[in-house]
Amino acid sequence: MNIKPQVLVIDDDAVVGRSFDRVLSEKGYEVSTALSGEEALKDIESKEYDLVFTDIKMPGMDGIEVAERIKAQCPWTPVVVITGYGTEENEARASVLGVSGFVRKPLTPEIIESITLKALQEPVEEPRAANEPEAPVEVMAEAKTSALRATGKFAKNVGLFFAAPFIALAYIIALPAVGFYMFAKLAYEAYQKKNSSS
Amino acid sequence: MQAMQANQTHVGQTYLHPLPVRIWHWINALGFVLLMLTGVQIRYADLFSVMTFESALNVHNWIGFVIIANYFLWLGYYLTSDRISNYHAVLNAKDFFNNYYRQAVYYSYGIFRGEKRPHNVQPHDKFNPMQRLTYQVIMMISGPIQIVTGLMMWDVKRFESWIALAGGIRVVSTIHMLVFILFVVFILVHAYMGVLGRKPSTHYKEMFTGYAEDGDH
Repeated sequence: MNIKPQVLVIDDDAVVGRSFDRVLSEKGYEVSTALSGEEALKDIESKEYDLVFTDIKMPGMDGIEVAERIKAQCPWTPVVVITGYGTEENEARASVLGVSGFVRKPLTPEIIESITLKALQEPVEEPRAANEPEAPVEVMAEAKTSALRATGKFAKNVGLFFAAPFIALAYIIALPAVGFYMFAKLAYEAYQKKNSSS
Repeated sequence: MQAMQANQTHVGQTYLHPLPVRIWHWINALGFVLLMLTGVQIRYADLFSVMTFESALNVHNWIGFVIIANYFLWLGYYLTSDRISNYHAVLNAKDFFNNYYRQAVYYSYGIFRGEKRPHNVQPHDKFNPMQRLTYQVIMMISGPIQIVTGLMMWDVKRFESWIALAGGIRVVSTIHMLVFILFVVFILVHAYMGVLGRKPSTHYKEMFTGYAEDGDH
């Protein structure tokens, strides 16, 4: 069971992915990286992410197209667009898709951390028509959802914490038998390897 | 708070041990050593006479309460921090035993051959499977048992009914003694494991600064 928030970073520059990994891993997130939109979309088919960052300018599929496809596939997943080329046109296209925000290069650990927190805490905006006005913000409902999410996370954390000693005891009881099995398996494999080589 | 944590990200270093954990750790270390010494003096008053029985008992009781308060500092910190994941139960038994086995093999001979450590230490996953199991037992089973049995023997009259329920004062005293032995073994192994960093002082230094150099775990 993995309770760490899963973050995917899509950027053709591997250094960006590594920077996100370095900053966010320390803060309790699990970071995966993809070097292209195609790779990311394949990844998203088999794994669920809590947040996706995508660079806007990439060879092949650009960030906006990636965001569009992700939004079509998993509309509930927040997507943040990383850009060094923040043109109004791109931002307008991305806003229509309901992206959770934009972050401009150069990135600092503080920016990465704060935009991640913000994107994860804010409810995901539904895609809307370009000329459609923004829906009024239901502050109370948002606060309630966020409080419920926080309570759920806290309950899960505390549950796993207090379950730990009981599960630890069960593992300790099982440990000699499992250890014996593992060493026996290792010895058997070594024996087979020796026989096959001789 | 966020800004403060962000500032704690140093190049080539990981902020592994936050300040409350370091304070708790060193108070515990000193307290445990004093509890053990005074405990031995109380138990074997006829063999040692470093201090009088009464003084040893008084010091033992006072330090005991400091350690209890310290235990609740630890509990409070972890229950309210996202670093609680360090103590979480591992629900996937197959993963747990595979990783435990890998770690045991590493400690048995990999470490002496300079092999790569099988567990990648992160602030929210800083214990390898062997450490995780050990700390879960020490902090969540042995610690509370020692606190409860200690309290029972501190005021026998007040906890009369609890003592009766446990099977009498001899049973309580024996349990306290057995857990004491477990703690002595744990502290000796813990101190030894502490010197297995890149340099013998590396892990000790971490427990003062909070920072681990990348590649030291």
